[in-house]
Amino acid sequence: MTGGAERQSGSPEALRLVGITKRFPGVLANDDVSLDVRKGEVLGLLGENGAGKTTLMNVVYGLYKPDGGQIFVNGREVEIKSPEDALDLGIGMVHQHFKLVPDMTVAENIAMAPSLLPGLIRLKKVEREVAELCEKFGLNVDPRSTVSDLTVGARQRVEIVKLLYRGADLLILDEPTAALTPPEWHELGIFIRDLADQGRSVIFITHKLDELFGLVDRCTVLRDARVVDTVNIAAVDKPELAKMMVGREVTLRVQRPIVQAGKPVLEVSGLTVADDEGRTLIDDIGFEVRAGEVFGVAGVAGNGQTELVEALIGLRQPETGEIRLDGKALKKLSPLTFTNAGGALVPEDRHREGVALELNVLDNLLMKEFARGRYAKRGVIDFDAARERSETLVRNYDVKTPGVDVPVRQLSGGNQQKLVLARELGRDPRLVIAFQPTRGLDVGAIEFVYNELNDKKKAGGAILLVSFELDEIFTMADRFAVMVDGRFLRVLDGGEADLETVGMLMGGSEADAGVAASGRTVTT
Amino acid sequence: MRARLATGGLDFVLSVCVAILALLVALIFVVAAGVSFTSGADAFVSGAFGSQLNLAGTLAKMVPLTLVALGWIVVFKAGRFHVGFPGQILVGGMFVTVVALKIHLPAGLHLPLVLVAGMAGGALYAGIAAWLWAKRGVNEILSTLLLNLIAAQLLAWWVRGPLHDHTSPLPLTPAFPNSARWPELLKNTDLHWDIVLVPIAAILISFLLARTLAGFRMRLVGSGEMIAREAGVSPERIGVRAIMLSGALAGLAGASLVAAGTTPQVGEDFGGTYGFTGIAVALLARNNALAAVPAALLFAALEQGGQTMEGTVGISSSLVDFIQGLMIVLVLAATTVLYLVRRRTTKPRAPKATAPPTPRAELEPSK
Repeated sequence: MTGGAERQSGSPEALRLVGITKRFPGVLANDDVSLDVRKGEVLGLLGENGAGKTTLMNVVYGLYKPDGGQIFVNGREVEIKSPEDALDLGIGMVHQHFKLVPDMTVAENIAMAPSLLPGLIRLKKVEREVAELCEKFGLNVDPRSTVSDLTVGARQRVEIVKLLYRGADLLILDEPTAALTPPEWHELGIFIRDLADQGRSVIFITHKLDELFGLVDRCTVLRDARVVDTVNIAAVDKPELAKMMVGREVTLRVQRPIVQAGKPVLEVSGLTVADDEGRTLIDDIGFEVRAGEVFGVAGVAGNGQTELVEALIGLRQPETGEIRLDGKALKKLSPLTFTNAGGALVPEDRHREGVALELNVLDNLLMKEFARGRYAKRGVIDFDAARERSETLVRNYDVKTPGVDVPVRQLSGGNQQKLVLARELGRDPRLVIAFQPTRGLDVGAIEFVYNELNDKKKAGGAILLVSFELDEIFTMADRFAVMVDGRFLRVLDGGEADLETVGMLMGGSEADAGVAASGRTVTT
Repeated sequence: MRARLATGGLDFVLSVCVAILALLVALIFVVAAGVSFTSGADAFVSGAFGSQLNLAGTLAKMVPLTLVALGWIVVFKAGRFHVGFPGQILVGGMFVTVVALKIHLPAGLHLPLVLVAGMAGGALYAGIAAWLWAKRGVNEILSTLLLNLIAAQLLAWWVRGPLHDHTSPLPLTPAFPNSARWPELLKNTDLHWDIVLVPIAAILISFLLARTLAGFRMRLVGSGEMIAREAGVSPERIGVRAIMLSGALAGLAGASLVAAGTTPQVGEDFGGTYGFTGIAVALLARNNALAAVPAALLFAALEQGGQTMEGTVGISSSLVDFIQGLMIVLVLAATTVLYLVRRRTTKPRAPKATAPPTPRAELEPSK
């Protein structure tokens, strides 16, 4: 998987953008952006959230009309007015959020592509051709399986096959690794290199530096709507790229403060959770999180982490087990009693669970206070007190917002997460459950989240960090457990754990080793 | 805040322009029916506002429209939808007929009891759908739609059986005592004192939603069930309350239709089309409780103007019905399009949009 910039330098160009400018009311999203991709090349498009990466690619894909600039495909100037135009030119894009019909089969999803209509759909023919295509590219996709049964990784492969089937030879992948497990990510990397070796081109959009090395040939860095530079990946290292992306020196590794751990704050014993059909999702888990400690839960997504968190905050009733907070057993646990007992939650899915996008900043900051009847007199909200409190939180946690009356939808992802931290940590809780707290955030925001959690720890708080990112566990956790199939396989010490061991554990057994770990780590 | 007010004002002006445009389109059909454009337009405007009698009719029709619209706004904010207003109006009205005819009280007590009965009837009838939804997962749109049919049949039996006026061959109730009726505001018109419910209810609901914990809980549940659950607010409990409150508002509309009607007794058709037109009012008002008042005025004028047109320029009543339906469709279509265009052009964080803006996604209720 080594890059081959030299190899491609003589290849003809597949796509060239010259001076692309795109304005939205009040925002300049792309400012005179130029880049090019050659045939057989993987180009990384790196930038923080909001740097203009997705907008740029939506221009190429015909979803936005640029305000200025030119697009050349295979050396010819073109105007792309719609995704259909783009596909006719051989450009295909896989969005962050997949656009598949869940109830249809893979072949049906592929066959219903607009350009293949009208006329009879010959499903058998499509199935056969899709199967051949998958064979050719080594993609493991069964054309007859229903999309809703597929894993996220498999759905992504279907999106890619859909584009290949329609003749795309330049693929744009928008943050394709966001939802993948390490082994899936590893497979995707191999597939992308294969594509390039067959003379196709790939634009790989990301804000994660680690993903670029060993995968892309060159990398174009965007910052504040402008191109900072385009570099040969072999000629740069991680800190250099990070500095280009963020515009200042970044300490990528947050120092883990060493704190003398105190008394146990969260004690869990014999916790067993089953689903409605009686299948065991969490199997007899016991652990404790002490004051001044970050306890991590590592593991691949879907091994019971969601259910564990739901049981701890009272959203899911366990079959058996005891949960004690500060020595007091929590009976009849509900989200409200969890909050009242001094618990805080930074949830996994920011948009569904973290913030209410339609409500304003004030409502979002104080929702848990309102839910338990605070900041109100006889049912009527005391807006003077509420406003003062929310403005203090906005200041203390550096939430960048025009005001507390603004709907949260208007805030960037990083600021939404700061808002969640302000709400949860601002209550001065005893226990913080942080579930994938940096998902989808850029470097600066990740640093902020880590520092806030570490400050909480230094102040004597107990933190339970559930994460699918091993880097995050290594950076933050004093001790951590590896979760597989609803059980804790082993509890390790944060300082002395090594990637190899953890990777093997994550894979489920010591025998069928490192697959899980290799994907993310081979390249770093 | 000022920007928001300015946008709101502009929205309102646009809505009015759209309504006028829709009226002009509707008049084309009147012209096609052989009536000159000017006499058609004149008949409509004077039919809605021209005389004291017509203006009173328009204002009287605002009452049920506003109350139903507020009922819709309440459930909408809590993230639920139901279309049971016609049925809740009828059941609220049936409760009212019992209290009005079977209980004898002095005026100062009788009317308040009538209103309470109407609200209770609407709330309880909505409560059936709410319970089915919360406990059994029955889609509340479906259940309320079917409950509407049941309510209509119940009322048909009601005015022929238990509450039939035996002196009349028609399916009508006996006349209600004056103590159970809203007093007239303008003598010999349809306008009764229940018109005061319009500003009072609009302000109360607006206050409830914007400034109280109960309203906050509804808005929180409406903006996302998961996040509400994690904050400790039960979507089921709040959903049931919202549906029942909306039923109470519809029941209050039913009380007005019974106790402030043109005649002192009611038949099986007192509900009219308010139960559905009220939803259109709420949509035109963009689910803003205060904006529901002018929106209700517009639809009330449509209804009243259309009715009088029938008599003054002699077009058939089915054409009037057609024009009213057409105007509802045009007003809603045009305001929805305007709204979408605006959302797209003013998207403040457009570069952050990960998915391209598709009209479908924006038409979906905010989650």
